[in-house]
Amino acid sequence: MESWLEFAKGPLFRLTFAIMLLGLIRIFMLDIWGIYKAYRKAGDKNMPWKLVLSRGLEWFFPVNRVARNRPFYSTFSTLFHIGLLVVPIFLYAHVKQWEKSIGISWITLPFDWAYWLTISTIVFAIALLMGRMFNKSSSFLSRKQDYLWPILLLIPFITGFVCAHLNVNPTYYQFFMLMHVLSGNLIFILIPFTKIAHCVLMPLSQVVCTIAWKFPPETDEAVCSTLNKKGAAV
Amino acid sequence: MSKAILTDITKCIGCLKCVSACKETNNLEMDVPRIWQKNDGLSAENWTSIIQKPGNHFIRKQCRHCLEPACVTACPVGALQKTNEGAVVYDSDKCLGCRYCMMACPYGIPRYDWDQSVPYVRKCILCFDKIKNGDQPACTKICPEGATIFGDRNELLKIAHNRIAENPGKYINKVWGENEIGGTSVLYLSDIDLSFLSYNTHLGNKPLPETTEPAMKSVPFAFVGMGGFMLGLNWIIRRRMELSKNQNEDRGNKDE
Amino acid sequence: MNRVQNTKIILWLITGFAAAVGLNRFIFGLGATTNLTDSTPWGLWIGFDVMGGVALAAGGFVMTAIFYIMKREEFHPLVKPAVLTAFLGYMAVILGLLFDLGLPWNIWHMIIFWNPHSPLFEVGWCVMLYSAVLLLEFSPVPLEKYSRYAKIRNFLMKFRFVFVLLGIMLSTLHQSSLGSLFLIMPFKLHPLWYSNILPIQFFLSAVALGLMMVAFESLASHWLYKRKPETSLVEKLGKTVVWVLSIYLIVKIIDILAAGEITIVLNGSWESFVFISEIFISIIFPIIIFSVPKMRRNIKAQWIGSFMVVFGMVFNRINVGGLTMLSITGDSYTPSWMEITISLGVVSAAALVFLFVIEHFNIWDLKPQDPESLPHTAPSFDYSSHAWLGTPDAASLTKFSLAFVLSFAVGMALMPEKKLHGKGIEEITVSRASGIERLLINGNKDDNLVEFPHKEHIARLGEDQCAQCHHLTLPRFIENSCWECHTNMYKPVDYFKHNWHASSSGANIKCDNCHVEGVQRESKSAKNCVDCHPKYDFNNARFIGSQKYFAISYTDAFHQLCVSCHFIKADELNKQNLTECKSCHKVKIHDQVAENLKWKTTLPHFNSVILPNIEKEKNQSEMSKDEKENINN
Repeated sequence: MESWLEFAKGPLFRLTFAIMLLGLIRIFMLDIWGIYKAYRKAGDKNMPWKLVLSRGLEWFFPVNRVARNRPFYSTFSTLFHIGLLVVPIFLYAHVKQWEKSIGISWITLPFDWAYWLTISTIVFAIALLMGRMFNKSSSFLSRKQDYLWPILLLIPFITGFVCAHLNVNPTYYQFFMLMHVLSGNLIFILIPFTKIAHCVLMPLSQVVCTIAWKFPPETDEAVCSTLNKKGAAV
Repeated sequence: MSKAILTDITKCIGCLKCVSACKETNNLEMDVPRIWQKNDGLSAENWTSIIQKPGNHFIRKQCRHCLEPACVTACPVGALQKTNEGAVVYDSDKCLGCRYCMMACPYGIPRYDWDQSVPYVRKCILCFDKIKNGDQPACTKICPEGATIFGDRNELLKIAHNRIAENPGKYINKVWGENEIGGTSVLYLSDIDLSFLSYNTHLGNKPLPETTEPAMKSVPFAFVGMGGFMLGLNWIIRRRMELSKNQNEDRGNKDE
Repeated sequence: MNRVQNTKIILWLITGFAAAVGLNRFIFGLGATTNLTDSTPWGLWIGFDVMGGVALAAGGFVMTAIFYIMKREEFHPLVKPAVLTAFLGYMAVILGLLFDLGLPWNIWHMIIFWNPHSPLFEVGWCVMLYSAVLLLEFSPVPLEKYSRYAKIRNFLMKFRFVFVLLGIMLSTLHQSSLGSLFLIMPFKLHPLWYSNILPIQFFLSAVALGLMMVAFESLASHWLYKRKPETSLVEKLGKTVVWVLSIYLIVKIIDILAAGEITIVLNGSWESFVFISEIFISIIFPIIIFSVPKMRRNIKAQWIGSFMVVFGMVFNRINVGGLTMLSITGDSYTPSWMEITISLGVVSAAALVFLFVIEHFNIWDLKPQDPESLPHTAPSFDYSSHAWLGTPDAASLTKFSLAFVLSFAVGMALMPEKKLHGKGIEEITVSRASGIERLLINGNKDDNLVEFPHKEHIARLGEDQCAQCHHLTLPRFIENSCWECHTNMYKPVDYFKHNWHASSSGANIKCDNCHVEGVQRESKSAKNCVDCHPKYDFNNARFIGSQKYFAISYTDAFHQLCVSCHFIKADELNKQNLTECKSCHKVKIHDQVAENLKWKTTLPHFNSVILPNIEKEKNQSEMSKDEKENINN
């Protein structure tokens, strides 16, 4: 098991991390390339850039927009995302690993914060999964990967929690650690090829939406005036 | 004015004090046997070494500070320079790391920081800072047996020849470094053959820079000559084409 | 029509892989990436990428000379591809050089620091100038596409003849000067390759190689795009190359005869075999192929003949560039897989740019039909995003980028685990001293023994003073000596084996046995060794300063250990002979033993000796108390 762990932490991690990093850069560039091509073909080159930017920023704080309709979902989602991003990046043990291998370190989470953030992430992930399963409109819209992702994301958090905070004997420790590292690697590989790619594509989503309305010129305004909402944003 | 070192192999007891003095003076770090090192003890962190040969012969190896160094000629940016004092010194700020000096050296002296991501060429610089101020290099200063001494090159040569004359049969009748490849600033007196210090047992007396000199001198002529030849050729061919064009008018020149 | 796309995917795969390896080279340095040594400072990157690359790019000046100077207008279709190949070739050479140079960010130094005596200086300048000239020579082709640059284009076109002439002049210089580089190594380069007229040989072979490279590249690119091959032009090139190769052969033969080296050619050594095969592959076979009219017209023969010249001449450059020096320097060098990868990556990147330019600009008189811009091909479906990717152009982009990303990741995974400083250290195992009362210490394993009266030392120092020399770190052996942990004196040692303690086959203890509950689990917060192993006595243990990451050599360690103490005792007891070398080095090395020594394994130790500085030592013994406390924490 030790040699498996070494392999998963070493070559396998470098492989998956490189795939994630370059894969995200790749789809980001491809997205921009696609937008550029669409923009060249669009009938109406007059893009409301400011609106696109402000609306994109609005989506960064889902509390603003979604809170009105689904306050719990929105709050949970935000908190879940915070834990999801902060814990793996700023966890003391993770930063130490980076420092050991490439000599770069950054600020780390205090021990107690890491503890509570991990627990909160696990709880909110379960809550969101339940919400998706039992809310009719949500479950209607969901695909398989929408159910699988929260489960997959839970694995490294739970196993990591076991390794860092519970007093276990070496056999269990190594088993949980291996699961932790392997699931993390799996996540890295899947990120650029699944919906998690929204982590880099989100800022571009509003541009894509806006351009889509521009192919026959002034479609957006035509639609709005048909709906008797002249001058409103689409 | 040119300074030199004379090492008498028969006097050396192999105490390695010169090696550690060199390390201390030049702030060289601890050495570790590396796969890229040569088997002569020199390395990026070892600028002088003692080679032990059967029969308790200890030969100190270091940069020979040639009078007409191949490395100085080779370096494309002049990072290596022969100073008036006789030392061949290295300017790491100029170096671009092409390692042509290492290729050119007939004694295989310059070493490289292979393990560094910012590597430099490393070799003995004859303690240039010290000899500039009239002091002597650390190695000769510390030698307890007077086996390696520092001084004016001409005087050292005289001393060497005197020693050979005074002790007939003790030495091989040759001062190593007196004339080889134009002479070196590190001279050896020995009772054993020292030709293993270089890549070839017969180096000859011709300085190595002279091997590339004819080629380098003919560069401008080749440049101008080729240009002239091409122009001339072009002129002749055009002239011929014009003549044949006049003969049959209907063929027009293609657009290039 | 998948031929182009498949080729491109393969090229992207190689480029991605090489990019990861290249990153490795810049982070960890040359020693961690290459198999270069102090005796072989130039390897594959110089031999193939630089020497071979420059020679391969010779097609540019040869074709321009034929077309513009000699006015052979039928070669028009070959000129633009040749100039493009030359330009990309030089770019590849510079890229390859950036990997090879120790300090690549100083590559521009040649512009401001001059050494006109150096052949490399001349080569460097010529390559710089010629690359610029090639750019000016070629840029009218891409500029043609944009009408707004018409003025610049016309301006460049006006001076085209000047550029061509300048290009030929510069090429003549540096193609031959690449040979001059090796004139300064008469003692290193094998006599079969060393010659005073090496520059002339290099120039002639470059012309032949240039011609055949153009032919080969024409055949290859027409095969790739399924166009009708330019057989008649290749045939004409073949006719010309016979003349050039014949002159080259005559020059070589005269040179060998004049130097009296004909015996070396036939002496059956490794070099003679290499030399003969080089001559046959690069000169004699191609001459035969291209002088028989029937074969000259056959496309298969053209493929073989042109490839032979290309391969043979590059082989020649590699031979001169270092391969045939190995027997003289006594070194062994085989390029590491990383060197080969980067070389291939540079070539692949250049090939990708070549294909891009060919598809997008007017290189051939007829633009090749871009296989991906056919109007009626169906858009491709992307399974990962469940989306139709639209035009095949965009779809191929996703494929290529995916190939790059995946192979880059594989390259990263294969990156060697070893850290920078651990790289290249020779494995030399340490063994214990022999004897019981009088120990024989054979530190360097060269039978230069030191006789160490162990019992007398115990008697003098007292039974309780083991810690003065011994480490006292392993639990059951309180007097354990260095070799028990430092099995290799140069490799780092983990004296607390965490993995062993925390494995089920080892100590099998739970986390909280050592780590305090409720705090970060790390060495700082863990219990001390003494808490579990009361017999460990760090306070009395003598640590021989923990320098960097490894233990110093056996010899160094003992010199520091013994000599420093001897100096102190010599003062105390007023026995100055204690400080003399011969007080310990009594056993003389036997001449017979010495003759059988393998110098390779003994000398590095022998020469890395650092004799202890007494003043420093005294300070250190005071300091060591603090150190011990540090270690204990």
